[in-house]
Amino acid sequence: MIDFLIEGFGVALTPLNLGLALLGALLGTLFGALPGIGPINGIAILMPLAYTLGLPAESSLILLAAVYTGAEYGGRMSSILLNVPGDAGAVMTTLDGYPLAQRGLAGPALGLSAVSSFIGATIAILGLTLFAPLLAKVAVLFGPAEFFALMVFAFSSMSVMMGKDPIKTAIGAVLGILIGTVGIDSGSGVLRYTFGMPELYDGIDFVVMIIGLFAISEILLMLEHSQRKGDDGELPVLGRVFVRLKEVLWCKGAIIRSGLIGFIIGVLPGTGASVAGAVSYTTEKRLSDKDNTFGTGDMRGLAAPESANNAAAVGSFVPMLTLGIPGSGTTAVLLGALMLYNITPGPMMFTERPEVAGGLIASLYIGNIVLLMLNLPLAGVFARVLTIPRWVLVPAIAILAFVGVYQLHSDLFAIYLMLLIGVFGYLLRKLGFSLAPVILGYVLGGLMEQNLRRALSISGGDVGILWQSGISLGLWVAAVLLLVLPWWISKLLAARQPSTR
Amino acid sequence: MRIAADRMLGIALIGLAAFIAVQAMQLKTTFSYEPVGPKAFPIVLAIVLALLALVMVFRPGPDGEWPHKTLALRLLLVLALLLAYAVLFTQLGFIVSSLLAVTALARLFGASWVKALMTGVLMPVVGYFLFTTALGISLPTGYWFASFL
Repeated sequence: MIDFLIEGFGVALTPLNLGLALLGALLGTLFGALPGIGPINGIAILMPLAYTLGLPAESSLILLAAVYTGAEYGGRMSSILLNVPGDAGAVMTTLDGYPLAQRGLAGPALGLSAVSSFIGATIAILGLTLFAPLLAKVAVLFGPAEFFALMVFAFSSMSVMMGKDPIKTAIGAVLGILIGTVGIDSGSGVLRYTFGMPELYDGIDFVVMIIGLFAISEILLMLEHSQRKGDDGELPVLGRVFVRLKEVLWCKGAIIRSGLIGFIIGVLPGTGASVAGAVSYTTEKRLSDKDNTFGTGDMRGLAAPESANNAAAVGSFVPMLTLGIPGSGTTAVLLGALMLYNITPGPMMFTERPEVAGGLIASLYIGNIVLLMLNLPLAGVFARVLTIPRWVLVPAIAILAFVGVYQLHSDLFAIYLMLLIGVFGYLLRKLGFSLAPVILGYVLGGLMEQNLRRALSISGGDVGILWQSGISLGLWVAAVLLLVLPWWISKLLAARQPSTR
Repeated sequence: MRIAADRMLGIALIGLAAFIAVQAMQLKTTFSYEPVGPKAFPIVLAIVLALLALVMVFRPGPDGEWPHKTLALRLLLVLALLLAYAVLFTQLGFIVSSLLAVTALARLFGASWVKALMTGVLMPVVGYFLFTTALGISLPTGYWFASFL
């Protein structure tokens, strides 16, 4: 069972892949630290470059995964130092991180968050190593009907857990799926929604989609923030950069509990680092906040979400590698990147392409250690990144976006399409949509339709096949429960409230 | 009562759903070996979209903060700039078009003329050599300058 890991280390320890893991960790931390560029943007910008470099699938996945985990480390910088979360996963980090920085403990706060990130990620990587092959064994039993039910489950779990407004999350996912239907239908060869434009026959390119949706819309959104004065400039004094062992040991309960919580939440499809951070923080507050110090600069309040969001980032690899269902927006992008290499992630990957699955998992071990070594001594250097002005950042994003999209087919149509999608993404964000469901829908929609049609072909059109097996029936029930339970419970609580008074 | 942004969006989405469904119905399929065909999936999605949008029309969320006039103008300016960058990308070549776009973008995001020009010169030139020599990406040299290079 551990064979794949040994082979994986063989892949991950080659000089090229080791170098890529290092580079990815470094770039990821930078991307995470830069205001407005989270893990998805970082990967969106780097992916076309990795593709043109002609890297083999496992190497580019190692690079992009290192960027992903690195960005989770980098996201804490601005949370702690400026009270501005670098990405969604780092929102909870501000609650106790910023007060610590204000008390002159910015350095130890950064150190502690690096250590708790490391421990959280390590717990999750161990979990990934143990559970992924087991889950893959179960997933081999999945037929088209089960996969279809699984995707329905993934979308319903996403609607409930992701974002504030379930309706908007669901609409975002449907829009994403619809965008995925553009192009020649693989089942029948019919052109759908191409409006006579030959450039659309192959569908909307994945790279065009994510760069438009994330990078271009980010440029437009940054314009808004550039109006506000005083958000860039002075950083608080770092103080000593290293965190004391005593301080880490004081938080050990919080770190380990949050690592486990983060991993489990990360594994659930559709829920990512931001949910994990929030759940772990509130759990820890309930468990150990005896003196009401959470929110005023309690180290445990910083360690908990940091451990959890890194654990969740790793945990979201479990469904992606074993079922082909991404656990978060970022893993959806990674899944799309794999599809560019004609690899469909899923249960067969552990047996058919062990170098990809094993190499990735092994590189997570290595990347995690690299990240700790980078982040402890270099916290001050990374903190300087925060002072990079927007007038450098925005043109750089624009150039990278244009080059990344232009080099796909060397034509301008893709660039116009990217700009159009960028405006669409901007409007969605202004209307309170989160973009992760859109990208998940876009990535999964095609597979969902294929599996549905395959299942119904097998049964000769009988819809019953979709819930005939125990696995698929269970998934349908779970999906419905997820949608109904929160609504039902809140109703029940509301009904009970007056009677207790 | 003010019409919430969500209401308008909901109505627009219902329109979109109708458009998608009509388009899907007009697809001409020849004899097919599978029972579902290319029409069903988009039509079901359109129905789901319309239902969700209907919920939003009746229960809109709070209105977000929309850009005021000057910001909206700058937003359009940035968009026009990016569009111009795209148009000029092959015409003027990567270096010249990026020089113009980067300088203008830097200005729009609050850099002084000197800083904007410096970024505008440095970034495209460094970028060009990085992309072409290190990464092996071929970038347009531009029709106008092709004869000189």
